[in-house]
Amino acid sequence: MSTSDTPAIACRNLWQVFGPSADKALTEALARSGGDTNAAAADLRALGYIPAVQDASFEVREGELFVIMGLSGSGKSTLVRCISQLLPGTGGEIRIDGENVVGASKQKLTELRRRKLGMVFQHFGLFPHMTVAENVAYPLKVQGVGRKERRARAQEVISLVGLDGREESFPRQLSGGQRQRVGIARSLAVNPDIWFLDEPFSALDPLIRRQLQDEFLRIQGSLRKSIVFITHDIAEALKLADRIAIMRDGKIVQIGTPTEIVLQPVDDYVREFSKDVAKGRHARVASVMQAGDGTRGPDDPGLTTSMTLDAALARCMELYQPVPVRDASGAIVGTVNPSDLAAALQVDDA
Amino acid sequence: MSVAADVAVPGAPRLTVGAQAALITALVGALCLALEPMAPWLGAWPKTWVLPMTDWVGTGVSWLLDWIKPVARLFSDIMVYPMGWANTVLNATPWPMVIGLVTALGWYLGGLSMAALAFVGLGLVLASGYWHEGMNTLALVAVSVPLALVVGGGIGILANEVPRLKGAVQAVLDVMQTVPTFAYLTPLLLLFGFGPVVGLIASAIYAAPPMARNVMLGLERVEAEIKEAAIMSGGTRFQQLFQVEIPSASKQIMVGFNQCLMAALSMVIIAAVIGGFNDIGWEVLLTMRKAQFGPSLLAGMVIVIFAVVIDRMSAVLATERKRYDLRVVWAVLAFAVAFTVLFWSSLPGASEVAMLDGVAESVDRGLTRFTQTNGVALEALKNNTLYYVLLPLRIGLDQAVLPFTWGFMWTPAMSAWVFGLGAGLGLLLAWRGNLTGGIVTMILFGMIETGVTNLPWPFVLTGAAALGYVAGGRRLAILVVVLLGTILLSGLWDRALLSLYLCGASVFACAVVGGAIGVASAIWTPVWRVVRPICDMLQTIPLFVFLIPVLMLFQIGEFSAFLAICAYAVVPMIRYTRHGLVDTPEEMMEAAISSGATDWQILRDVRAPYAAPTILLGLNQTILYAFSMLVIAALIGTTGLGQSIYLALGQADVGLGISAGAAMAILALIADRLVQGFAEERRKALGL
Ligand SMILES: Nc1ncnc2c1ncn2[C@@H]1O[C@H](COP(=O)(O)OP(=O)(O)OP(=O)(O)O)[C@@H](O)[C@H]1O
Ligand SMILES: [Mg+2]
Repeated sequence: MSTSDTPAIACRNLWQVFGPSADKALTEALARSGGDTNAAAADLRALGYIPAVQDASFEVREGELFVIMGLSGSGKSTLVRCISQLLPGTGGEIRIDGENVVGASKQKLTELRRRKLGMVFQHFGLFPHMTVAENVAYPLKVQGVGRKERRARAQEVISLVGLDGREESFPRQLSGGQRQRVGIARSLAVNPDIWFLDEPFSALDPLIRRQLQDEFLRIQGSLRKSIVFITHDIAEALKLADRIAIMRDGKIVQIGTPTEIVLQPVDDYVREFSKDVAKGRHARVASVMQAGDGTRGPDDPGLTTSMTLDAALARCMELYQPVPVRDASGAIVGTVNPSDLAAALQVDDA
Repeated sequence: MSVAADVAVPGAPRLTVGAQAALITALVGALCLALEPMAPWLGAWPKTWVLPMTDWVGTGVSWLLDWIKPVARLFSDIMVYPMGWANTVLNATPWPMVIGLVTALGWYLGGLSMAALAFVGLGLVLASGYWHEGMNTLALVAVSVPLALVVGGGIGILANEVPRLKGAVQAVLDVMQTVPTFAYLTPLLLLFGFGPVVGLIASAIYAAPPMARNVMLGLERVEAEIKEAAIMSGGTRFQQLFQVEIPSASKQIMVGFNQCLMAALSMVIIAAVIGGFNDIGWEVLLTMRKAQFGPSLLAGMVIVIFAVVIDRMSAVLATERKRYDLRVVWAVLAFAVAFTVLFWSSLPGASEVAMLDGVAESVDRGLTRFTQTNGVALEALKNNTLYYVLLPLRIGLDQAVLPFTWGFMWTPAMSAWVFGLGAGLGLLLAWRGNLTGGIVTMILFGMIETGVTNLPWPFVLTGAAALGYVAGGRRLAILVVVLLGTILLSGLWDRALLSLYLCGASVFACAVVGGAIGVASAIWTPVWRVVRPICDMLQTIPLFVFLIPVLMLFQIGEFSAFLAICAYAVVPMIRYTRHGLVDTPEEMMEAAISSGATDWQILRDVRAPYAAPTILLGLNQTILYAFSMLVIAALIGTTGLGQSIYLALGQADVGLGISAGAAMAILALIADRLVQGFAEERRKALGL
């Protein structure tokens, strides 16, 4: 029934409250506050409940890479666990490919997970008693896929994540990066349409992380899945995302493209995230331009509104002649090209 | 007595909760002593106040048992078959085959050392001449363990699947752990009639809880993400449980399997007191009764061998296991078969081997000679301990000091001296700032003068409540009083005090000796290297076997029981003391060293306080161990609840058996809660 413009995931007013008989507490809190969700959440907190996800509404389009970002404890994992129905959700609506999953029967959920959903866990969640191949093939095994076919498909995804030759190893014999590849391979075994990744790279050191990010983009380039990707690393979010949702204390405070997040933060919390980001790479000329055709000098380096600041700066610098460079005593020892200066300042891992 | 009083009141001397509790206890005790001549009901609980609870329990349980008896008998009729099969298989298989099989299994599980252990062990069993008795015992274990595994595993899984049941299951398991082993036997005897099935069921019941506990624990500890990964893989609940969660918990479950095996073996041997199955436990009992200590030691050795082999082999399962060459397994098996076939006609019957009979006889003779030549010394040791330590503790100095033991008569003036000494010491301590310690000292002196079994009941109740209040607050205090009150009303009070006294004496001895050995092991590694294997051994040996050596040297009586209890219960004290002391965080040690503390200062000021909670847990284990041995020790002559339970078994008196068992469980439970409470308090105080 899913048509191309049905979103892959749609959440409306989703809540997840932890505590005894949370359903009732939420209904009452909302009634008391007259529908003001912030007041209701504060009310719940005062009563000792934890509103880990608070009135979240968003859509993930088909083929989109949707990143959820926020500080530790802001409710990212909880939100994704609600969507995948590992947690029941306390209120609100979740549709996957247009079908409501809240309160769906066990069989239906199992069916959904077998066909459509894949998930990569923050701490890998590998089965310690199974080899790499068995881990990866497990989602197929539970569906009753035959041994041979299972094996073949597992081999395919294992190659995809670059773990050839380690099929018979046990998780404890692998490095952190390799384990996470197993997790990724396992989540891809049934070729899911929707892919959840919960901080898949945060337990890894920076070099391996970058390598896996690049591989991840490569895999996504060929698979085009609808992805929900959790991270608390702004650089990772900006590098990967089509759109980013920023969470704070259970609330989604802003949803937008990477540029919007960097250049039009809605509040200080979001601004704080992008503080250390090299803006030149994400901001466009339009964001610093003064409108109108007012006064201007003789030079025209050919800037356009959609150019990144880095690129624009380099263009401007190209207008200059090489300039002299002196040593400590004031004698000229060489020259430098201003455009080289600009280029040298750019971060080149984009 | 409120917690708020812990805050100093201006003008009044500062009274902590502990001091208040001790003070109230001391006052009640003094009051009881003073008023007892006028109001004798303060001393001993009057007979007329006793409710016939034992009879009620008897009637109730008998009625219940009658009701389920047909089912039980049916079950027992069914169980006869697997038992018969196991028996036939084990006894009819030629012994070289059995030895070969177990040796091969040993190799498969643990390589050469395990194979050697199995081979030598079973070789000794064969040589002892108790092969068939041993196989009979193993047959019982072989049938009861699967039963216990299924029941225990089932309960564990059920508790995991239905979280609402978890609390209740945990509580029942806790209680089952404290109910003494013998107490199971009487109702089972009524249900199933005399015969090996009782032993079988008893050991299954006794062995199921450790399995259930470990299954629950293991499943609980499976990482949340592993469980979630199984869900997200689209497994049904059944698939999640059996393909992911249980295999992931396998280490813990294997620990349960190991404990289950050991418990079953231990209980099968204890159940031999019912008789009728010609197993190895029965053999020990028989030879002990006939004072044939050589054979009795041999039979005991067979039990120890079984225990060690079964324990070490199953313990391997719970560890990271290496793979050993399977070809060796086949080779050993092939050799066993070849050996059997080749020597078929000349193969001696397993019980005819009996190569150690000579050894047994000479051991017997040697022992007799030893006890004869050293009889005086042994007797002196026994009597001195009895007259100068145990007896005063039991009935008080005023009654224990007699001309023919101590050489003089106790006079009221001496009582006054004792009280005066206690008061003096107490005041000194209080003056030095340790008020609680001072009052407790006074109480202890009063207790030695009176004797544990003569303590006035209001004093015991107040004292226990006070301990409860300090250790765990109002709820624990109330629980303690209610539970003790039940024993008072049931008329088992005197016997309970007797048990308490013997247990207390043993625990005290264990605490002193075990604590000292533990400290020594923590400080000098060579000591630990010697002590450790002994501890391992003592913990593997089934309770029953402890009785053999003490009986040989000291005959039936309280002193033998005391020794047996100490030998068994000292182990946790040693282990935990050492562990607590060794476990001090490195940084704390370094901080102390860099402050210039000497080794002794470090031990006293850094390690000991840090280890206190752990040592308290060790003490707790020691108390529980002592209680469980107390009941077994009834076989060699103790008075008190253990004896009642044992007597009830002989007379098939369910009411008495269950009541006395429950009273024993209550005492153990109270001790457990109190010590745990103190340990918890210490942990909190240390911020752990
Ligand atoms: N099962 C639970 N019961 C009670 N509280 C929970 C539970 N799971 C999560 N929480 C609480 O919900 C809040 C959000 O937790 P969550 O795991 O979603 O954070 P997160 O954003 O994923 O953090 P991190 O980056 O550290 O993984 C936290 O305050 C956490 O303590
Ligand atoms: Mg998280």
